[in-house]
Amino acid sequence: MSARPETPVKNKKKVPTYCYQCVNGPDLLTVEVVDGIATQVEPNFAANKDHPAEGKVCVKPYGLVQKVYNPHRILTPMRRTNPKKGRHEDPGWVETTWDEALDLIAEKMKATREKGLLDENGDPRFAFTTGGAATPFYYAGTLSAFLGAWGPYDNSLGAGGTVKCYHSEHMYGELWHKAFTVMPDTPRAQYVISFGNNIDASGGVTAVYRQANARARGWTRIQFEPHLSVTGAKATEWVPIKTKTDGAVLYAMLHVLLHEHSADELDINFLKHTTSSPYLVAPNGYYLRDPETKKPLIWDLQINGPVPFDTPNTDPAIEGSFVVPHAIEVGADDETWTHTDTSVTTAHEKLKAHVRENTPEWAAEISDVPADTLRRIANEFLGAACIGETHEVEGRVLPFRPVTVVLGKSVNNGWGAYECVWARTVMQVLVGALEVPGGMLGSTTIISGPDWDRMANVFPGEDGFMHFPFNPTDKENWLQANEMRHAHKLLTPMVGDSMFSGLFGSTSIAWLRLQGRAAESWAKPQPPDVWFVYKCNPSISFSETSRLGESMAQFPFMVSFAYTEDETNHFADLMLPEAIDLESTQLIRVGGQHYFEQQWEAEGWVLRQKVVEPQGEARDFSWICNELARRVGILEAYNDMINVGACGIPLKTDSYDYSLDPTTVHEPDVIWDAVCKAASADLTDGKEVNDLEWFQEKGYKVRPFSSINWYLYPKLVDQGLRFELPYQERILRVGQQLANRLHENGVDWWDTQLEEYEALPTWKDLNKLWDNIIEKNYDVKATDFPFWLLSARSMQYAWGGNTSLQFIHEVASNVAGHDGILINANKAAELGIGEGDWMEVSSPVGKAHGQARLRQGIREDVIVMIGQFGHWKMPFAKDLKVPSLNALVPMHPDFLDGHGSSIDATKAAVKKVEKLV
Amino acid sequence: MTRYVMTADLNRCVGCQTCTAACKHTNATPPEIQWRKVLDVEMGEFPDVERIFMPVGCQHCADPPCMHVCPSQATAQRDDGIVTIDYDLCIGCGYCMVACPYDARYKVDEARFAYGKKPSLTEALRHDEGRLGVAQKCTFCADRIDEGTAKGLTPGVDPEATPACVNSCIANALQFGDIEDENSNVSELLAENTYFQMHEELGTETGFYYLWNEK
Repeated sequence: MSARPETPVKNKKKVPTYCYQCVNGPDLLTVEVVDGIATQVEPNFAANKDHPAEGKVCVKPYGLVQKVYNPHRILTPMRRTNPKKGRHEDPGWVETTWDEALDLIAEKMKATREKGLLDENGDPRFAFTTGGAATPFYYAGTLSAFLGAWGPYDNSLGAGGTVKCYHSEHMYGELWHKAFTVMPDTPRAQYVISFGNNIDASGGVTAVYRQANARARGWTRIQFEPHLSVTGAKATEWVPIKTKTDGAVLYAMLHVLLHEHSADELDINFLKHTTSSPYLVAPNGYYLRDPETKKPLIWDLQINGPVPFDTPNTDPAIEGSFVVPHAIEVGADDETWTHTDTSVTTAHEKLKAHVRENTPEWAAEISDVPADTLRRIANEFLGAACIGETHEVEGRVLPFRPVTVVLGKSVNNGWGAYECVWARTVMQVLVGALEVPGGMLGSTTIISGPDWDRMANVFPGEDGFMHFPFNPTDKENWLQANEMRHAHKLLTPMVGDSMFSGLFGSTSIAWLRLQGRAAESWAKPQPPDVWFVYKCNPSISFSETSRLGESMAQFPFMVSFAYTEDETNHFADLMLPEAIDLESTQLIRVGGQHYFEQQWEAEGWVLRQKVVEPQGEARDFSWICNELARRVGILEAYNDMINVGACGIPLKTDSYDYSLDPTTVHEPDVIWDAVCKAASADLTDGKEVNDLEWFQEKGYKVRPFSSINWYLYPKLVDQGLRFELPYQERILRVGQQLANRLHENGVDWWDTQLEEYEALPTWKDLNKLWDNIIEKNYDVKATDFPFWLLSARSMQYAWGGNTSLQFIHEVASNVAGHDGILINANKAAELGIGEGDWMEVSSPVGKAHGQARLRQGIREDVIVMIGQFGHWKMPFAKDLKVPSLNALVPMHPDFLDGHGSSIDATKAAVKKVEKLV
Repeated sequence: MTRYVMTADLNRCVGCQTCTAACKHTNATPPEIQWRKVLDVEMGEFPDVERIFMPVGCQHCADPPCMHVCPSQATAQRDDGIVTIDYDLCIGCGYCMVACPYDARYKVDEARFAYGKKPSLTEALRHDEGRLGVAQKCTFCADRIDEGTAKGLTPGVDPEATPACVNSCIANALQFGDIEDENSNVSELLAENTYFQMHEELGTETGFYYLWNEK
């Protein structure tokens, strides 16, 4: 009964490598190779002691074998022959050689360099777009060195980032607690409230593993969401909240904590000494400051008077009003007021007043969630916080507060997200559950520093808080240059100035400007002279996707690194086949702490290697970069970038030297051999040096990483710093200064966005806001769109670039909704729609069609389209006939929040239609 | 005596289909044939709804209806409880597919591949003509168990001796072991949890237990 034929096998081996198809990577796996052919994927069982989830791997890597042998792959460089670009134009692809293709690119890029790296508007002439939250860089070999050697390039032409991301959580999370992404301390958490956070589909192997353990342990998870997601299914309680009313519920919970309990019941010690709660707020909304030192003042109950916040041995007042004899207040652009005998209150009192009217009864009307339920959950949260308890980590006694509030996509980005991320972080602060064992933790920094060393980014900034790299908004230092087509540093100063900052701000603005639909006082930008598109498909994955294609068709020279034909490379001038996941080599960091729930007690390096020879003419991306650098004439600068660390680690330090001769081309294996040696030397303080061959055999190398590094609190306390919560004086100042600068330069089209820069965010009725925007900008009635069309994460597809894989389609089809549109069964019956019937879903900007999938776990005013489909070109995917909400989500400046993000949802109408041909 | 059984903890399973994928890799099943898969089931009416993910496949019954109807003795039962199919004996009559209360048996009459009639390199390498026209189903990865135990390894503990779906499960929902050994992981799980077997009323005495803690 053998499952396989007993054919003689010449050569069978298991090759270790990694998968990084989503931000929760890398997963460590092995691939069985038989006579040079990849056959099957397994977890790397050898990693079970080092990996936080026993070295298991997610469902997506199982698609990698078929990905290699997919007959629809582009395996030869292809050149467009039809100069006319458009969805309905045949590109007229003809095969070309690598030599010809690379020469053509080099010619265009050299001409671009000669014209100048920036165009007449100051925008980079070269643009690079990728997707997957920059995870494609884990496949792109030496690309960072090429981009660094090139100089300024534009990465504002987004593939979905800032719309399809946790944008406000990223910005504010990193400001408040170095938390580009936020998670519970899942191994210790006892009570989690989730607003649409679909971690069991989005969190990767480690999250699923840890959450399963937490359920087995008996934790409580309350899931507020309009559609019962995979994660909602695993929750203790599902609360089917009305769409986009999360902020109201959160404000009501703040109300319960602040107005139905005394301050003594909160973590008063934490509030006094680790937050800005005791800072006194002056009449104009800025902190009241000491006239001499300009430090914010607190009211010390011991001397019954005002003292600077960092005065030793104080007992700061949290509540009450106080008369301060003499103090100053410093507003935007150093505007200074002197106050005499002024009556002021604390930031905590301001917070209390801010949510005074937001009772559970008020929120119940808005959210469809009974007031009793809201009150009960808020009280359970407080009770579960274990205020006063401690937990020892690595010999250090820390507060133990096992409660967390998590948010999901479209709750933590777009309008209303500031309210939500602020309110939930304030909830954490009120019970002392921020960055302590059991509580809410950050895992990654992107804006403020290297993502692999979060703690390195914790150091003093202004007013007793952590440093955060706001881009300057003061008159003297304000940078007027846009730098990229979305003017990210200028319009959205919170994006910082890191290597990845261009991925934040408003990628919608870049596309809208190219379409002449935004930033009317600025010149319409030119398309980039040369555009590289890598591992993404913005024609499918952005919003209002039909218009995106029209924009792309205007671009003069587009190079697409193509796996199959798709809806974006349909507009390209060249398609180049790269050696994919199992066909190429790269060494990257592993472990430490990273993204959603990647918390390791080990850190080190893992190799992706050429498990099998590349198919056809596919080439390792490092080889492609080598050739581009050489032909464009920037080889030396490119090699210099590799030497200084563009491959993840410097090749030369005071301790070791594996640097490469900058004047010659080095084959990828030579480059990665040097990186392997440098990485292992660095990891072991020079005790062990492992070459590429060693990593090819062993797969990865790690050293211990202390779990004390999961918690920011001890590092903060050791430096005498405070969390910048609840009051947002800095945000208020930055916003006012930015308004001043923009107005001085004739920009008034960003005024609505600037309103978000509030010290305490005002709750907004988002349903009404949407209706107003729709009626203002489109010739429609809001009442014609009674449904919310939402999306939900597909673990099987998300970020994988695997929609053309039959294998993934097959296994994903077992999860409801992958083959149609989810609609409430009772509502469907009311509309005469039966299971499998074809539906037309329309929004103010488009129509899409799909088959009805009737479910009970969904509100009657909601429909759901899972994942991102709607393909019209990609082989296999185009035959799936599954609609995408991206075609229906309007892109309009009015939808952009203060930091340029908008949500991944739209109001919609539904009707039954006859079967489509 | 040994009887191998599988347990599926419904409190842990998230329906991710990693087991489905791992099974397909290990057993090289053709498109749309899934010896292991996870159902996505709803119970109740809005707003009182439960959504449950339920791993299914051959239940390796102690009293297997499929075996009783098999006219060619292709379906048999090992001493360790694993229900087997001898593809050389199977005549492809399909009685077993009808008799199985768990819808766990498949028959593929013509070679089929992911992208049409032409196999990929992997598919060509792994295609098994002997599996055409006969019944097929989950084997509890008997080959792995036999190879592993021959090396002195323990099924359910050592990955090399354990079914691929269990090895792959990222939620540790699936476990495997010898129910006759009171110290095995599955015996301990069954002692500590409430559980049910599918279609218990049929008296098939399945070798597949669903751990289920009522909320």
